[in-house]
Amino acid sequence: MQKIGWMALAAFLLSACAQDDAAQSGGATDADSSESVANGTTNETSDGPVRPSQDPFPSTYEAYPSGAVLVTNATVLTGAGERIDGGSVLMRDGKIAAVGADIEVPDGASVVDANGRWVTPGIIDIHSHLGNYPSPSTNSTSDGNEATAPSTAQVWTEHSVWPQDAGFTRALAGGVTALQILPGSANLFGGRSVVLKNVPSRTTQGMKFPGAPYGMKMACGENPKRVYGDRGGPGTRMGNFAGYRENWIAAQGYKKKWDDYWADYDAWVDGDQEEDAPDAPTQDLKLETLAGVLNGEIRVNMHCYRADEMAFVLDMAEEFDYQVTTFHHAIEAYKVADLLAEKGVCAAIWADWWGFKLEAYDTVPQNAALVHAQDGGCTITHSDHDLGIQRLNQETAKAVDAGRRAGIDISPEVAISWITSNPAKAMGILDQTGTLEPGKMADLVVWNGNPFSVYAKAEQVYIDGALMYDRDDPTRSPRMDFELGQLGNDDFTGGAGQ
Amino acid sequence: MRQTMIKSLFTSVAFAIVGVSSVSAQTTAIMNGEVHTAAGPVIENGDVIITNGRITQVGANLSAPAGATVIDAEGKVVTPGLFAPLSAIGLVEISLDDEANDAGPQRGEGFALGAALDAVDAYNPSSILIPINRAGGVTRATSAPQAGDSMFGGRAAVIDMSGRVNSVTKRNAAQILVMGYSGASRAGDTRMGAWALLREYLDEARSYANNPNDYVRRPRDARFAVSDLRALGPVLAGEQPLVVSINGAKDIRNLIRLKNRYGLSVIIAGGSEAWREARALAAADIPVIIDPLFNLPAQFEDLGATLENAARLEAAGVKISFFNHPGFGAHNLRLITQQAGNAVAHGLSYEAAIEAITVNPAEMFGLDDQLGTIEAGKIADVVVWEGDPLELNTQPEAVFINGQQQDLGNRQQMLGDRYRDLSRGELPHAYRGGE
Repeated sequence: MQKIGWMALAAFLLSACAQDDAAQSGGATDADSSESVANGTTNETSDGPVRPSQDPFPSTYEAYPSGAVLVTNATVLTGAGERIDGGSVLMRDGKIAAVGADIEVPDGASVVDANGRWVTPGIIDIHSHLGNYPSPSTNSTSDGNEATAPSTAQVWTEHSVWPQDAGFTRALAGGVTALQILPGSANLFGGRSVVLKNVPSRTTQGMKFPGAPYGMKMACGENPKRVYGDRGGPGTRMGNFAGYRENWIAAQGYKKKWDDYWADYDAWVDGDQEEDAPDAPTQDLKLETLAGVLNGEIRVNMHCYRADEMAFVLDMAEEFDYQVTTFHHAIEAYKVADLLAEKGVCAAIWADWWGFKLEAYDTVPQNAALVHAQDGGCTITHSDHDLGIQRLNQETAKAVDAGRRAGIDISPEVAISWITSNPAKAMGILDQTGTLEPGKMADLVVWNGNPFSVYAKAEQVYIDGALMYDRDDPTRSPRMDFELGQLGNDDFTGGAGQ
Repeated sequence: MRQTMIKSLFTSVAFAIVGVSSVSAQTTAIMNGEVHTAAGPVIENGDVIITNGRITQVGANLSAPAGATVIDAEGKVVTPGLFAPLSAIGLVEISLDDEANDAGPQRGEGFALGAALDAVDAYNPSSILIPINRAGGVTRATSAPQAGDSMFGGRAAVIDMSGRVNSVTKRNAAQILVMGYSGASRAGDTRMGAWALLREYLDEARSYANNPNDYVRRPRDARFAVSDLRALGPVLAGEQPLVVSINGAKDIRNLIRLKNRYGLSVIIAGGSEAWREARALAAADIPVIIDPLFNLPAQFEDLGATLENAARLEAAGVKISFFNHPGFGAHNLRLITQQAGNAVAHGLSYEAAIEAITVNPAEMFGLDDQLGTIEAGKIADVVVWEGDPLELNTQPEAVFINGQQQDLGNRQQMLGDRYRDLSRGELPHAYRGGE
């Protein structure tokens, strides 16, 4: 039965999150997951109380060695809205050192003559399931949806990410240098996301983007009610909203407990300390994540298709005083593009996927452009798919062209922001990457031509200044363990450009 | 401010081609375009004359017949209409809505029939998916049932994308079969089971075909419905192609042997490792419908999946076309041009890419004497493109099906128009853009 479920899924569904694998795979329990951990109480030491670790699985990512490289004679799209014809980009010590029309070759720098080819910032995908729904797709590797309870804010998807997913290599060949892995959309609260650099590592921590804030996945509409409708609910959209609000109320209480505790503790420190220090509340993994949102530390990524639901979510965010960073999929964003712009919420959109369920019936090709056209509008092209992530440039090109037909002209230097600086902003890493500006990480793609052509291919991909992919050099093409030694055929590389 | 600009620009773009819409003239002359006939060299500055639904003349320096509706195609590209070789068009409106999805029987419910199912029984020419994909240049498609609990999906039909009540071009155009792991999952969960069961089906169908009256009178194996066996008759006779979903090289080798043993006409769908058996496929005259974007080891039978599949198959002389993997897809058949463009970016020749989305499917389903190319005598399915049809920023300017110029409007375009201006207005949005 399980196998049948999977085959039906493979034949029928497009992707993990859009359609919700978990709804098909079944086998989950109705029991709520554990709400708290036993050892969460803070401990008193001579230095004062130990706060619950905010970063128990810290990034161990380190940039690979790089020399100074000057890419010259390129059409440069900076990601910050500029286009420089005949431009150059200097990378040094893993950072962008200079961008402009005339840059002297520094001593010791190697020069890459782009010969008129195009250069952009590394591509960033805000919505990926690489690693948590990896290739091969088997029951063994299906780790994207903790579909055991409507709220699983306590799960952290980094614990599901398999760093040996071959999909990372293919995405690299598509120019992707950073990506956010999200839990699936079965649940009202799906858990924490993780932001990765697209550099292979033995461990997931070795891919974690240093300093990137966490995100949290939430889901509107059909998926939660389909998954839980006959498992205790929610079974309706009103049930979904009751579930969101009950959890936010609990999170407010939790946040207040900790805020009060720290106020009491500070008062105790400042006082005569005759009594024992106040007891810290018990740490609760689920509420900790939700409180992190209320504290503004964790970013809300909300899967939401319908315009009317987005409008309710925005009111709910006011009610509980948090910010929705991005609506994902946002098929009907164009119907409320003004509301999204007013609230500063980005819409992460496919160019043309639609119709797999009723809430995805109303797409229009110019959805992305109509969101962009609002003053303050923020459009992101996302993939939610292991093939789509390989050509976010093409998906953007289609959406831009649909905009042109609707009278919205979007230049290449602006369009590139949909897959570079806009997702970087939404993911909280724009200060580090997402544009070619001095001081930022040297995450850069050299394309064989205009990246918005169907014939475009990433030829070289630099991450933190290191050449991590070169289409013409097999030694600069990663191959994951799983693909090593397969088929035994010389024509098969199992590498990034496969 | 931005809104105002959008509005005025839209007006000029959207209505630029209104002058040639909704014409039903008997004769149309498409003049001076770059004509890709899919039957020979490109004709620069070529002309295509359509009379009474047929292409009557193709060449350079022709004269438009008197009274013809003339379409100036200077700077444009003219191709045969696109032909989606494998789809669920007209069977699926919304994939996850049971009532709006007739693609095939639900898995796990034990519905007995397979091969007997007929796409024509469910094909809905009023589906909104049809005008949306027609606007992208798709003029014909194979509407194919998907397998439920039986390894056979049933009989596919070739349809035209006019949306007319009578838009079936060819009934019983192919039978659908799933093999590989998909077949195995319906046959004891082993590929051995899939091949054994398939041979049993074919042998039983032959037994039925040899003497139907005798077959139905004697005791028989309840696993095989007579209607399924009857439907397999034309397949066994080699008259109706069997479209086989299959990916791994080993399974493909088995399929080639089976084709030869039973004298079948076979088309592969999927074929992620087809390139590994490319020469054998060419020798066996088996065309392959692939997803040229598929390059991941999604299953163990897909370990060899590569973006170069199309190019390697072309090099070996295998006829190819494109579809969505997995599943057949229905909503975005128009993206077949993007698939073709990516195949070109990975080594497929440009003309082979055009043939893959026009004449090759016509050939696969035995319609190449009528469709698929721009040649005198053929049914006039023709598209005039703004530029390179495989590029991401080109769309059809004019689409002809059976010589009739098609309306390119559709529900997506209407929704987009309705919400172009979000201001409150005199009346709600529900009053706008429905005219």
